[in-house]
Amino acid sequence: MNAFDWIVLFGTIVIIVVYGVWKSRGSTNINGYLLGNNSMPWWSVGLGIMATQASAVTFLSTPGQAYEDGMRFLQFYFGLPVAMIILSVTAVPLYHKLKVFTAYEYLETRFDLKVRTLAAFFFLMLRGLSVGITVYAPSLILSTILGWNITLTTVFIGTIVAIYTVSGGTKAVAATQKYQLAIIMIGMLVAGAVAFSKLPESVSFGDTFSIAGELGKLNLINLKFDLADRYNIWSGLIGGLFLFLSYFGADQSQVGRYLGGKSITESRLGLLFNGLLKIPMQFIILYIGILVFVFYQFNQPPLFHNVSLRDKAMATEQASTIAGLEKDFETVFKEKAGRARVLIEGINSHNEVVIEAEKRAIKEIQKKEAGLRSKIKETIAIAIPDANTLDKDYVFINFVMTYLPHGLVGLLLAVVFLAAMSSTASELNSLASTSVVDIYKRSVNSQGSDLHYVSASKWFTVGWALMAMVFATLANQAENLIQFVNIIGSLFYGTILGIFLTAFYLKFIKSNAVFIAAVVAELCILYCYFFTKIAFLLYNIIGCLIVIVVASTIQLLFSERKRV
Amino acid sequence: MTENSDEKPPVFASWNGWYLLVAGFLIFLILLFLLITKRYS
Repeated sequence: MNAFDWIVLFGTIVIIVVYGVWKSRGSTNINGYLLGNNSMPWWSVGLGIMATQASAVTFLSTPGQAYEDGMRFLQFYFGLPVAMIILSVTAVPLYHKLKVFTAYEYLETRFDLKVRTLAAFFFLMLRGLSVGITVYAPSLILSTILGWNITLTTVFIGTIVAIYTVSGGTKAVAATQKYQLAIIMIGMLVAGAVAFSKLPESVSFGDTFSIAGELGKLNLINLKFDLADRYNIWSGLIGGLFLFLSYFGADQSQVGRYLGGKSITESRLGLLFNGLLKIPMQFIILYIGILVFVFYQFNQPPLFHNVSLRDKAMATEQASTIAGLEKDFETVFKEKAGRARVLIEGINSHNEVVIEAEKRAIKEIQKKEAGLRSKIKETIAIAIPDANTLDKDYVFINFVMTYLPHGLVGLLLAVVFLAAMSSTASELNSLASTSVVDIYKRSVNSQGSDLHYVSASKWFTVGWALMAMVFATLANQAENLIQFVNIIGSLFYGTILGIFLTAFYLKFIKSNAVFIAAVVAELCILYCYFFTKIAFLLYNIIGCLIVIVVASTIQLLFSERKRV
Repeated sequence: MTENSDEKPPVFASWNGWYLLVAGFLIFLILLFLLITKRYS
């Protein structure tokens, strides 16, 4: 990092924050503050939806996921376009017709106050925990990379987001998100281009596919049905569909984005825009991870990607063991780089014998590398007992810090901050909306003026921002941050979706039945999480089905007894 | 905010055109990814 990087980093952040505050000045009524006066065009709705979903974790963790595990994570998003279509047909016209501020308001119209409050409570639980991770993930990585104090980094991100979210509400969130997403995508593409430009001249773009494919990283589609496998086409299409129906249909952080659309058409087009672009966008981000993987076949990567932690361990008595492991790694890597060059020649000359031989040799070397990586992690754990030795999330940012030219390093760090800011802003905004509209205004103080509720929304935003910073400390031992965010979502989304699907389609079911069913479903999901090995994406289906089946059964039994 | 759920969409004659576009694009992407998986693995 040099002065130019710092100027780019802080210049970008300051411009976005000032723009958000300026653009949204003067929101004094609750509609303007929470729904942006329903003035958003479709492209603003669509970009807001994409920016809300794509947090800093997406850009830090996803390339690392591809680097380690290949492209199979992409299948997770296959249910999303179908969910966009279903919601465009059902939820959008319904929410617009009822002129609701939050999705949970509709539940009181359909059932009663207790169901609305229960769904709002589940949402506040899951989003309140997730927003902590949304802030924590970039704070942890940036504080490690930049040598900053983690608490101060968390407070810094939380505070700058709170400034413009409190001052301008939804309008500020929407005004800033489109520029944030544009800068984010430009930054990511530049990083991918740099990784490709640093490959040997003999390696074409097509060759990157061949190398990644031969080494097992282009595992985009797995047709095998396996309940315990987190990512295959079926878990993505079925589990993903349920997860995204719930996320986009019943999670206020997303519902708030398309409720801000100026008409049903604009909201629908915003959702469909997301349905068209989300998978290509994730493909690009994952492929940037693959480019980094290919780059590291020819350029020696660090044995342990969290370089700051490795440096700390080097100051202990484990230093000689670490140095020995790194020496062994250097030898192993040199052999692999030579093999990779021969593999490229074999691919270009279509020599299957060479390809097979080199592929087998590289895979053997990769096993040795994996062994050395395990050993260095064990050694670092001995050197610093409370350290988290999972380094997947550091692969991409470490590449950026080491290989990108000055100025671009600042831009990529700005990307991480902006991504954290855009999703955190939406989440804080939705937590405040739900707290005020569904809890405070409905059950605590229903006689306040518009100005009073705007003021209450601002205070709730501040309160949730503080909670986010506290929750941030709970995320420390997550295996992989993006996965942890999705697991938390899956714990509650199935139940929430079950409530909404019952509300939409099973008109004979009344409030008591759905309320009991939702409580039962949530207990079952928690049991699955703590005591079974069921893949977390399936929690969405299980939770949803339990609500529907139990609610239907209770309702039918209750009706029967009444008739008797 | 307008309330007419039957608003005519841009480009297509009805919303079904948009829904088919999104669904068709998803099928195209899955087939493309399947092809890439088979071709390069």
